[in-house]
Amino acid sequence: MLKGVKIASVLAAAALVLAGCGSSGDASASATAPTSSVKVGMAYDQDGKGDGSFNDAAYAGLSKAQTDLGVQIKEVNSGSSATDASREELLTLLAQDGYNPVIAVGFAYSTALGNVAAKFPDTSFAIVDSVVDQPNVGNLVFAAEQGSYLTGVIAASASKSGHIGFIGGMEIDLIKAFEAGYVQGAKSVNPDITIDSKYMGAAGDNTAWNVPDKAKAASAAMIGNGADVIYAAAGGSGLGMFQAVKEAGAGHWAIGVDSDQYTVPALADYKDFILTSMLKRVDVAVYDTIKGVVDGAPLVGIQNFDLSKDGVGYATSNSAVEPYKAAADKAAADIKAGTITVNTK
Amino acid sequence: MNFRRFGISLIAPLLGVVISVAVTSVILVAINANVGDVFSSMIRYGTSPRAMTLILNLATTYFLSALAVAIGFKMNLFNIGVNGQYVLGAVAAGAVAGALTLPKIPSVIITILVAMVVGAAWAGIAAWLKVARGVSEVISTIMLNFIAIAIISYVIVRTSVGHETSLNVRGTKEIAESGMLRGLALLDEGTKIYGFFFISIFIGIAYWFILNRTRFGYDLRATGHSASAARTSGIDARRMTVVTMLLSGAIAGLVGLPYLLGEAASYNLNFPTDWGFTGIAIALLGRNNPVGIAVGALLWAFLDVASGQLILEGIPREITTIMQGLIVIVVVISYEIVRRRQLTTEQTRVAKALEAQGVSA
Amino acid sequence: MSQNVAAVELKGIWKRFPGVIANSDINLKVEPGTVHAIVGENGAGKSTLMKILYGMQKPDEGTISINGTELSFASPSDAIDAGIGMVHQHFMLADNFTVLENIVLGSEPRKGLSLNFDKARADISAISSENGLEVDPDALVADLGVGDRQRIEILKVLYRGAKILILDEPTAVLVPHEVHELFDTLRDLKKAGNTIIFISHKLDEVLSIADEITVIRRGTTVGSVNPHTQEVSAQDLAVMMVGSELPTPETRGDTIRDEVVLAVENLTVLASGGKPIVDNISFQIRSGEILGIAGVEGNGQAEILDALMGLENSTGTVHFKKEDISNMSTRNRRELGIGFIPEDRHRQALLLTAPLWENRMLGHQTLAPNSNGFLLTPGAAKDDTKRIVEEFDVRTPGIDVLASALSGGNQQKLIVGREMSGEPKLLIAAHPTRGIDVGAQAAIWDHLRHAREAGLAVLLISADLDELIGLSDTIKVLLRGAFVADANPATVTPEQLGTAMTGAGKVSA
Repeated sequence: MLKGVKIASVLAAAALVLAGCGSSGDASASATAPTSSVKVGMAYDQDGKGDGSFNDAAYAGLSKAQTDLGVQIKEVNSGSSATDASREELLTLLAQDGYNPVIAVGFAYSTALGNVAAKFPDTSFAIVDSVVDQPNVGNLVFAAEQGSYLTGVIAASASKSGHIGFIGGMEIDLIKAFEAGYVQGAKSVNPDITIDSKYMGAAGDNTAWNVPDKAKAASAAMIGNGADVIYAAAGGSGLGMFQAVKEAGAGHWAIGVDSDQYTVPALADYKDFILTSMLKRVDVAVYDTIKGVVDGAPLVGIQNFDLSKDGVGYATSNSAVEPYKAAADKAAADIKAGTITVNTK
Repeated sequence: MNFRRFGISLIAPLLGVVISVAVTSVILVAINANVGDVFSSMIRYGTSPRAMTLILNLATTYFLSALAVAIGFKMNLFNIGVNGQYVLGAVAAGAVAGALTLPKIPSVIITILVAMVVGAAWAGIAAWLKVARGVSEVISTIMLNFIAIAIISYVIVRTSVGHETSLNVRGTKEIAESGMLRGLALLDEGTKIYGFFFISIFIGIAYWFILNRTRFGYDLRATGHSASAARTSGIDARRMTVVTMLLSGAIAGLVGLPYLLGEAASYNLNFPTDWGFTGIAIALLGRNNPVGIAVGALLWAFLDVASGQLILEGIPREITTIMQGLIVIVVVISYEIVRRRQLTTEQTRVAKALEAQGVSA
Repeated sequence: MSQNVAAVELKGIWKRFPGVIANSDINLKVEPGTVHAIVGENGAGKSTLMKILYGMQKPDEGTISINGTELSFASPSDAIDAGIGMVHQHFMLADNFTVLENIVLGSEPRKGLSLNFDKARADISAISSENGLEVDPDALVADLGVGDRQRIEILKVLYRGAKILILDEPTAVLVPHEVHELFDTLRDLKKAGNTIIFISHKLDEVLSIADEITVIRRGTTVGSVNPHTQEVSAQDLAVMMVGSELPTPETRGDTIRDEVVLAVENLTVLASGGKPIVDNISFQIRSGEILGIAGVEGNGQAEILDALMGLENSTGTVHFKKEDISNMSTRNRRELGIGFIPEDRHRQALLLTAPLWENRMLGHQTLAPNSNGFLLTPGAAKDDTKRIVEEFDVRTPGIDVLASALSGGNQQKLIVGREMSGEPKLLIAAHPTRGIDVGAQAAIWDHLRHAREAGLAVLLISADLDELIGLSDTIKVLLRGAFVADANPATVTPEQLGTAMTGAGKVSA
């Protein structure tokens, strides 16, 4: 009971801080070549940057903070077969070397971050996609189901065949929320739509995020069955979906995830087939966290980045999405207004 | 102990380390890193109390994994399935220990037994397939690894064994402190040496004793030396296959426990699932000998832990993976060369000794 | 013919392996366009000689000349380039490929980047018709019988341009009518100008096909005969093969007691094809008796031994001292006191990469002095190894050396010493003195003789007829898995025994 009250009050405080950031951010960004004594330590999980989605989105926020706020940065990754002990050591080394804030990207860091945060009470920590109950930790969570609802609306509107697909990474609640929102959004447009859904690995199978071959085969099978729009929430495996859609040719669309994948240089070959991407604004969350520390008001407690905070959304950089924007924006408004509640399961 | 033979067998690992340091230096130069700084900081950090504790803890895991592999290797049985055996063992142990409310000693003993039985049972499937159906254990154990992962996901995601231990993380119910073996803070005040470190020393001694001092161990080694001679001597090859595979699986079942009982307290879906492959490399490094395996496990763990420091200095952590790979390749090749040389030198030595005695061979 | 340059000429070939001289002073001349047989017992050095000729091993001394040119082969591909082809005893064919694909495998005709199967098909049909080798090039090898597969193997080497073909025991895998077909093929090949070197130890077959026969014994060529110009019998060849140069080991004096140690009834072992390889045999051995089994190798000796040791599935009953041991495990049989000296000491009797004292335990690891049941007793085992080394004169600097470091003779002495430890009641011995020097041979005979006097029953198999006759109290002749004759060792000669072994004649009981 007490805990609930505490978190609620922290949340309220955080909302205020966040609102403050939003207005003051632009002012400081306009200053030329700002410098700051803040050293940001960023820990990715497993192989880190280069996935073209989640980790790269985190990096985008870090990079923006580097340019706009002049902070120093240090990036590390935990490597494959990391344990809580090795993650904890990595975070400890960062905190020990004076990095503040220390940002852990990914829920795998939960236990490790909890231990380290307790050992370094004067350092600010943040974790993406998880909740760690320590007073000096900001928990950056996202309403991915809301963003996925919008991509579901777009997919169903764009589909000529009435048949769409979903490629998930590991079959865990986090990713199932993407699927749930997507399905609900698609059915809101076309209640009879057929939706194929396939996960790249069972829960616990760490390869699930990095099997583009498997994702390609699964996508190709969906296309063979008549699907003409596919949405992948599968980390590095998503590349395979792009390949399959490109091979299927015009009339088929891919929907990316986390970052605006239309603009990711590594995916330039496929951009013409990327209709939109579900944006999980990890970059916004990371940037806000760093900004909080720079401004002397670190974010703590649960920071829920949902549609109302522009923490999720969809990308419009490909003009092909124009015809569907109206429907998507209306859905977004309804969700914000509370007239639509999006399922997470 | 034959000191001459022992001396010769040290050549290979030394060569492995020297060549891997040399090649790594070249790579470091190529990426414009200061070679001296990299190695000295690896050593400086690797000898700090906290890092040493982490090395001992990780080495404990690797040691058990390599022992499980080595016992099979000793009779030319390739248990590639340590991964599957230990994850299942750890899940079962985690689930049982999480449900127990017993004092420490009985709780830990039950946890250990559960892990061993589950690991052995999983390996037993491969043994049965080999003996009854002639399926190569290499193939079956690899396949069983995948099946094990799928079973675990199912159990943790869809059954009451799994709980959401933190946001987005599902795992077995947390083990009560009375069921844990967190160990002792001997080197560093803040970090404990896992309790399983001490248990694994005992397991290493037991491994040596079983192999070298029991009839079963003799049968196992004889089968490894020559399967045909072993059969002629009256050793039942099928029985040996089954028993050895069960033993290997039982040890494999323990691989996840140092971490589970020393740190994690819950088998969650972030639990590493590839320590078994590390065990294969270390068994090769240590030549299936418990002391060699211990040294190999420490070396491997040192490189793993040191990679965390390297990355802070801007050196990709993959550099240590390259070193590990090089050491294994060089050591395996030079063992083979040394072994062949040893055979011929022994033959010449015998011939010379006999000549000196004035008899002809 | 003889004024031609020899197709193959080997002069003074020597090949030594650690502890063994495989070939010593081999001299061989093969005329072109003939079938030249090389005969000798297993282990006489035939296969080493063929490996040298095919470039798989290099001789230590001596020269190889092909069609008058002296050549040195670094690998089989050099031998193939010189026109030599080898047809192995065990076929090396890919079952799921067609005949055509198997023949071209490894030397595929190419047209640009792709395979030129049309040319291959034409070449193969030309070679087939020239040599009378009829095969359907598009048949799947998996569907073909043994005879066809052998023809494909021959075609394979002809396709690679061989004019000199080495056939290693080609009839070992064939049934009689297939043997006839093979011989017809060989005659056609000869007619087409090829030279054939035919390795075998089946004397009647050799006599029916060969133009010239060279005999190898103990690593050296002991003579050549031409069956067209000389009157040669299988018996003459057998004598040349086994020799009779050693002093006969006398074990006369009746030590046979009443007690039956081993009683075998209706023992049958089936080969993998279902054909009996040991065919319903029965015999008894009494305490103090040595029963010798004579026979050309490959007539079921190895299978009898394996069946008696429980290493091979068999039907029939085996009683050891009145106890039925037919279904007992090998280990239990050994524990009852059955010693076993197997045929192939490297594969069956030794752990080459283990020290001598661990080899002392092999086969006896359940018994004192090697273990107390569960735990090993290395101290006692080492002491007993020292005893064996001393008593059996094993020449070694110590008991910690690896078994592979000893010479063959000393390895064998260790094995004999081991198997005669712990007072066995029955010793099953195959070629107990093969490959060892004369002195060690005499020592082993001595040990056998003493054990026999003490009541040991022995089943003895030996290719050395002098040894067999000298040691045995009773001799039975084995042919195609069945006993065809008994011989009295007091009166029989090696020549008579050799004749009986080929099935050519009877000996008086």
